[in-house]
Amino acid sequence: MKITWQLAALILSVVPAGWSVAQQSPEFDRDVAPILATRCLDCHNSADKKGNLDLSRADSAKAGGDSGAVLVAGKPDDSFLWQRIDAEEMPPKKPLPAKEREVLKSWIASGAKWGTSPIDPYRFTTASRAGYDWWSLQKLVRPKEPGVTNQESGVNSHNAIDAFIFAKLGEKGLTPSPLADKRTLIRRVTFDLTGLPPTPEESDAFLRDKSPEAYDRLVKRLLDSPHYGERWARHWLDVAHFGESDGFEYDKMRPNAWRYRDWVIDALNRDMPYDEFARMQIAGDVLLAPDPRGTIATGFLVAGAHDSLLPKGEVMQAIMRQDELEDIVGIVSQTFLGLTVHCARCHDHKFDPVRQVEYYRLASALAGVKRGDRPIPPAQLPPELEQRQRQLAGDLAALEEPVRTDILNQRQAAAEKRPSPPRPLARWQFDGDAQDELGPLHGKLHEGAELKDGGLVLSGQRAFVATELLHQDVKEKTLEAWVKLSNLQQRSGGVIGIQSPDGEVFDAIVFGEKDPGQWLAGSNFFRRTQSFEGPPETEADSRTVHIAIVYAADGTITAYRDGAVYGRSYKSDGPVTFKKGEAQVIFGIRHFPAGGNKHVAGVIERAGLYDHALTAEEVAASAGTVSTYISEEEFSRRLSPDDRDRRRSLQQQLGAVSEQISRLREAKVFAVTPQEPPQSHLLIRGNPQQKGEVVNPGGLAAIASALGDFGLAPDAPDAERRKRLAQWIATENNPLFARTLVNRLWHYHFGRGLVETPNDLGFNGGVPVHRELLDWLACELVERRFSLKELHRQIVLSATYQQASLPRPECLAVDADSALYWRYRPRRLEAESVRDAMLSVSGLLNPAVGGPSFQDFRPYMYKGSQFYEPQDPVGLEFHRRSIYRMWARGGKNPLLDTFDCPDPSTTTPKRGSTTTPLQALSLLNNSFTLRMADALAERLRKESPGDEQAQIERAFVLICGRPSLPDELAASQALVREHGLMPFCRVLFSSNRFLYVH
Amino acid sequence: MHRRDFFSFASRGIGAAALLSLLARDRIVKGAPAVAPEAKDPPPHHPAKVKRVIQICLCGAFSHIDTFDYKPELAKQHGKPLGGSEKPDVFFGQVGLIRKNDWEFQQRGQSGLWISELFPHIATVADELTIIRSMYAESSSHTPATLQENSGFRLNGFPMLGSWLSYGLGSETDELPAYVVLPDARGLPAGGTTNWTSGFLPAQHQGVLFQTKGAVINDLFPARTIAAEVERDSRELLALLNRADLAASGGEAELTARMKAYELAAKMQLAVPRVTDLSGEAAATESLYGLDQPQTRDFGRSCLLARRLIEQGVRFVQLFSGGSFGSPRINWDGHEDVKENHAREAALIDLPVAGLIKDLRQRGLLDDTLVLFTTEFGRTPFTQSAADVVGAGRDHNQDGFSVWLAGAGLKHGMAYGATDDIGWKAVEHRSSWYDFHATVLHLLGIDHTRLTYYHNGIQRRLTNVHGEVIEGILA
Repeated sequence: MKITWQLAALILSVVPAGWSVAQQSPEFDRDVAPILATRCLDCHNSADKKGNLDLSRADSAKAGGDSGAVLVAGKPDDSFLWQRIDAEEMPPKKPLPAKEREVLKSWIASGAKWGTSPIDPYRFTTASRAGYDWWSLQKLVRPKEPGVTNQESGVNSHNAIDAFIFAKLGEKGLTPSPLADKRTLIRRVTFDLTGLPPTPEESDAFLRDKSPEAYDRLVKRLLDSPHYGERWARHWLDVAHFGESDGFEYDKMRPNAWRYRDWVIDALNRDMPYDEFARMQIAGDVLLAPDPRGTIATGFLVAGAHDSLLPKGEVMQAIMRQDELEDIVGIVSQTFLGLTVHCARCHDHKFDPVRQVEYYRLASALAGVKRGDRPIPPAQLPPELEQRQRQLAGDLAALEEPVRTDILNQRQAAAEKRPSPPRPLARWQFDGDAQDELGPLHGKLHEGAELKDGGLVLSGQRAFVATELLHQDVKEKTLEAWVKLSNLQQRSGGVIGIQSPDGEVFDAIVFGEKDPGQWLAGSNFFRRTQSFEGPPETEADSRTVHIAIVYAADGTITAYRDGAVYGRSYKSDGPVTFKKGEAQVIFGIRHFPAGGNKHVAGVIERAGLYDHALTAEEVAASAGTVSTYISEEEFSRRLSPDDRDRRRSLQQQLGAVSEQISRLREAKVFAVTPQEPPQSHLLIRGNPQQKGEVVNPGGLAAIASALGDFGLAPDAPDAERRKRLAQWIATENNPLFARTLVNRLWHYHFGRGLVETPNDLGFNGGVPVHRELLDWLACELVERRFSLKELHRQIVLSATYQQASLPRPECLAVDADSALYWRYRPRRLEAESVRDAMLSVSGLLNPAVGGPSFQDFRPYMYKGSQFYEPQDPVGLEFHRRSIYRMWARGGKNPLLDTFDCPDPSTTTPKRGSTTTPLQALSLLNNSFTLRMADALAERLRKESPGDEQAQIERAFVLICGRPSLPDELAASQALVREHGLMPFCRVLFSSNRFLYVH
Repeated sequence: MHRRDFFSFASRGIGAAALLSLLARDRIVKGAPAVAPEAKDPPPHHPAKVKRVIQICLCGAFSHIDTFDYKPELAKQHGKPLGGSEKPDVFFGQVGLIRKNDWEFQQRGQSGLWISELFPHIATVADELTIIRSMYAESSSHTPATLQENSGFRLNGFPMLGSWLSYGLGSETDELPAYVVLPDARGLPAGGTTNWTSGFLPAQHQGVLFQTKGAVINDLFPARTIAAEVERDSRELLALLNRADLAASGGEAELTARMKAYELAAKMQLAVPRVTDLSGEAAATESLYGLDQPQTRDFGRSCLLARRLIEQGVRFVQLFSGGSFGSPRINWDGHEDVKENHAREAALIDLPVAGLIKDLRQRGLLDDTLVLFTTEFGRTPFTQSAADVVGAGRDHNQDGFSVWLAGAGLKHGMAYGATDDIGWKAVEHRSSWYDFHATVLHLLGIDHTRLTYYHNGIQRRLTNVHGEVIEGILA
C-alpha cells in the first residue's frame, strides 16, 4: 500500500479549517462523525466490533463494549472513550492531533449528541482506505490555471499544461529542459503517435520547414495518418486483454475476433468521441442495431480468456460462470472507471467505497453477456481477391497436372489387374429400405431418418438407423460407406459404426471429431482412436466419397478414401470382438444414446460390414472406380524439391485467400451473444451455493454525480441492463470516466500516468501530485466533446512534451525519475514498434490497414487442444504491422514476447520495459531480425549503388533517425568493407540508438 | 534422439564458444553480481532453509489412493456403492462402484511410510519424503486446477511460482535464466507456454523453455550460420556505437544496463551448451537416472539436467511428466483404466525421480534444495462407470489428494494429514494450494504475505488472500 504525502495531508485536515472550540460546540455530522469514521471505524464498526464496541451507530456507541459504557454525556473525564484517547492509547500507535481531541472532548462535554446513525463508514477517507470524499470521485470542477510566466520558466509557452507543470517544478526549485532538437522531436512524436519511425524524407521536410507552425503541421499529419489508429488501438487492446483464442485447456482459435480490433482502429482514426466509443463497447449491439458495427464493438466485453471445457457438475459450472463475470466486471470497471470493483466479489472493497452488493449490481448489469460468433451481413467481396484466388488455383493446377495424370494412369493400369470386389458380411443399398441384402442385419429408421433417391438421408439432428443384433462374432473387421456430407464444417458425427446396444463400446467412421474436416476411427473414450493425420476433406460436400476403415488382427487401423490410403495407419490395442447377439450396426450416429454432437448430416448411398480386414487392393476394388484423390505424400514423392516448395507456397497462399473469401462471404464476428440473464443474487463470500439478497442491475453509489440506480427490475432484459450501464458509465456526469481516460493518454505519451496506476484511480492509486492538471485535462476532454485527437494534440504540443531528454545532474539530485517532468525521459521502443520499425526501414512493411489476422505460427491440434508453434513466415501477408498478427493466447511471438508484449490473458494498463540478455539474443539471432538486416542491406545497395559511405549514412538515418558521428562512420566502414552490409545492418538493429526514443 | 540433439547442440556451441570466451575475456567483469531481486520488500523475511526448487508436475492427476495414501478400507468396500446421501460432483458425472487400490502398499524405510508398488524406486527414498495426504483443490477441471497448482489462481494470466521466486529472490546466476521449464519429451502440457507465464509480473520472470528438440533456447545462436570473425567484429562495432550513444545521451543509466545485457547474453551462450551437455557425467550417474534404459531415458535426462541447472544457480526448475489431454493418453489422466495408464506413466519417471533425490543427497544439494512432487488433484475411490459396475478408470477428485516434498527444513519420512476411510475427501489437516505455496515460500525465507506486486487494485500475492504455513511438516 502506498500512502503519499498528499494523502497524509488530506487526513490531517479532517477538522474543518474554520472550527474553533471557543466559537461553538461541535456539530456531530459536520465535526465529529468525520473523526470517528477516519480514526475509529476501521475497527469499531458493525462488522468487526473490536472489543465489542461499535461506534458507527448511536445505540451501540451508547451501549459501549467489553469495558462497559464509553460515553458519559457532559463528562469527558468519566468517559472511557475520552480516557483512552487522552492517554494516547487510542487509536493505537497513532494519537489524535490536538485539534481533533479538542473536538471530541468538547462534543462529549456538550452532551455527546449523536446525529445521523449509523455513520456511513464510507463517507470519509481513512488512513487505510478511500471514502466517498476520495478525490477521484468528486465532481469535475475546472481548476484555475497557475500563472507562471514564460520568464519564470525560461520556456516560451501558452499551453495550460505547461503552466501546471512549470508551477510544480518551480515549487521544487527545478526548471524545465529546453525544447528537443527537431530530429529528436520528429522521431519521438512519430513513434508516439503512429508506432513507426519517420522516413528520412519526412525528417528532412520537417527540418527544412522553418515556420513556427512546422511542428503543429507535423502533429496534424500524424494524427490524420491511418497508422495513428493502429498504434493507439494496440494500447487499448492491452487494457481490453484482447486475445484471439480461448486460453485454458483447449485454447481454441477465435478466427472472427479480429473485427473488434479493426473496429477499434477505425473508431480511433475517425476520432469517434470517447463517450460513444465506450457506450458502443458495452452495448453497441443494442444501441446501434441493426448496424453490425455496434455488435462488433461488443468484442470488448468478451475479449478475455474463457474456459470452454465444461465439467458435468453444476457446482463447478456455477463457479466458472462467476469467475467469468468477475473478469468482465473487472475489465469494464477498470477500463472505464479506473476502479477495481471486482475486488468486492467476496466482501466489501478493502480500499475503495464499493460494497459487495454493488459488485453484484454491476455483475447483474452484465449478466446477459455470453460469448460466441454472431453473423453479420457480408461485406462486398473485393474483385481482386477472387481474381487472385483463380490465378493461384490455376498456377497450382498447372504444377500438379502432369503428376496427377501420371499417377492416375498408373492407377488405371493397376485397376485392370485388380481382384473383383470382396463379399461383405452385410450390405445395405438403402434403395427404398434399410434391409441387409446379404443377411439378417436389417436396419430400422429412427428420429426422422429418411430414404430418398436411393440413399439414406440424415438431418444431423437426431436421425439414425440401427440394425438387428449380430448373427455371428465380429473381431477383425472393415467398415465402409459411400457418403456425401451436407457440409464440411460439421463435427463429430458418425457415418457407420458397430456398437454394443448401450453404446458403451463402439467402433465407427466419424467425421471431423478431433480435427475439423478429417476422417477418424471413432471409439469409446478414444480407446482405439488416433489421428490419421489425413488431409481435411474438401470434396465430400459436392460428391459422394467412399470411406473404409480396416481393423486388422494385430490392432492396426487403416483408413481409405476412394480406395487410396488416407493419412497414416496406426496400431491400437484392438480389435474388439463384438459378440453374436450383443452388438449391432448403426448409421448416422457415432454411438448410442442419440443426441448431442454424435449425428452426421448427409446422405449414405451404400454401406458394408466385413468380418475380416480387407487388403488395400480389396478396398480399392470395392471402391470401384479408380480414385482420383492423390495424397500429399504421393505428390511430394514425385515433385522436385523446388516444385515441392513452390507447391507448398501456392497452397499456403491459396488457403489464405480462400479463407479470407469465405470469411467475407459468411461474415461472422466474435462478440457478445446475449442471453436473458437469470435473477441476480448477492453471493455470500462469492460462493454461488450461498445466495443472499436479490439485487437489481445498477451502478455505484460512490459516484454521487451519476445516479447509480438504473430503475430496472431484477429480471430486466439484457438489452436494457447493458444500455443503462453504458449510459451511466459514459457520461460527463461521471467524473471517473473522463479522469481515467486522460490519465491513460498521459501515461502513454510520457511513459507514466499522472496517477501511476491507469486502471486504478482509487485508494491504491494514491493522490496525484498533478491532480489539478488531471482535472483540467478531464474538463477539456468533456468540453471538446470527448475528442481524443484534440487531447493528443494539446498534450504533444505542450513544451513539457517537447523537452529535451538529456539528464541534468542538478535536477536528477532532486527528482531522479523526472516525476515532475523536468525532462522527457528516454523510452525503449515497445515490442511491436521494434518489429514494425524493422519492417518499415527495410522496405518490407505491408502498410495495409485492417483485415483478418495473419498467423506467425503453425497451428496444430493435438489431442483435442490447440497448439501454436512459432514460425517466421515470409511474404507480404506476414509483413503487416504487428497489431494484425493473430493474438492467440498460447501462440506468442518469441521476439515480441521477449520485449515485454503482455500476456493477453490479463489486463495490462502499463507494460513492463525490461532489459534482459534474452532481448540481446533475440535482436542478434532471431531469424526475423536477420531477414530484416538482409532486406535493408538490399535496399541500401539499390538506393545508393556502389557508394559505401552513402549506404552507411542512409542506414543511420533510417534506423537511428540521425547521421552517424565521426567515430561511428569509420568503424562502420571497416565492418562493411570486411564483411558486407548485412552484418552492419544487423548491428544497427541491435544498437541502443535504434531501440530508444529520446 | 533427444540426447543427440543436446550433444549436437553442444558441439555446435563449441565452435562459437572459443570466440565467445574471447569476447567474454575483456568485457565481462569478474565476479559480476547475480541478478538482484525486484521485489519491493525483498526476502529473506526470516532465515531461509532452502535456496532453490525443483518441481516435478504430474499432468493429468495421479491417483493418491494407488500411490501414497494407503486405504485398507477400499479392499473391504470393493464392489460396493459409495453410500451416504451426498452425490459426488465429479467431472464426467458417472459414479460407479468403489474399487480397491490396484497396487499393493508396503511400509518403507526406517520411517515406515506407506508407498505402493507403483513407485518401487521412489519407495527406496521414502525416508527423504514429506507427504501431504490431505490436499484439496478448488476445481475438478484440469486446466484451472493446474493453473491453481502453479499460480494459486484458477484463471489464466497470473504469475507462476517460478516467476514469483525470480521476482522475489532474483537469481544466483546471471548466465542462465532464473526459471527453467523442462517439458515432457512427448509434448507440452495443454495451454503450452501459458503454463510458465509471468502473468502481470515483468516479462523477465517468465519461465524459459528448454526444448527437447532442436535449439535448446530460442535465438541462443543465430538462425543461420554467421562466421566467427563476423560475429566478433559485429560485437565490437555494436559496443562502439553504444558507447558513442551513451556519451551523446549524457550517460543514461538504462543504456548502460542494456550494454551489460549483451555481455550477459554472451555468457549465456557459453553457459547453456555447457549445462546441457551431459556427456561429462559418469556412467554410474547415467544409470542412477536411468539414462541407460530406453523407457527412462527422456525423463532421466530432464532430472539430470535439473540437477545440473540448480548446481549452476538456477532458482526454479519445473519438470513436466505428461503432456496434453485427449487420447491416447500421454499423461496421468486415467479415466479409462488407471492400472494400464499409471503403470505406463510411472515406468517412465519412477527410477529417474528416485535417482534425482539420491544424487541431490549424495552431493549435499538436498541440504538447500527443495524438491516438489505435485499434481493438480486426485482420483476418485469409486470408478468412472455405470452405477452398478466396478470400472477400470477413476474420475477427477478435487476433494482429496497427495503431494510430497523433499529437502531441508522439513520433517523427513512423514505423512501429514489424512483423507477419509476410502480416500475421497481430505478430513484431517486439510491443506489448500495456498497453504502449500505459503509453506514453500516459508522454506525459502519468504513471508507469503509480504511477497507482493500491485496489479488490478491490490497488492497481488501467490496466495491470494489466503494461506497458512503448514507448521506440522516443518522440522
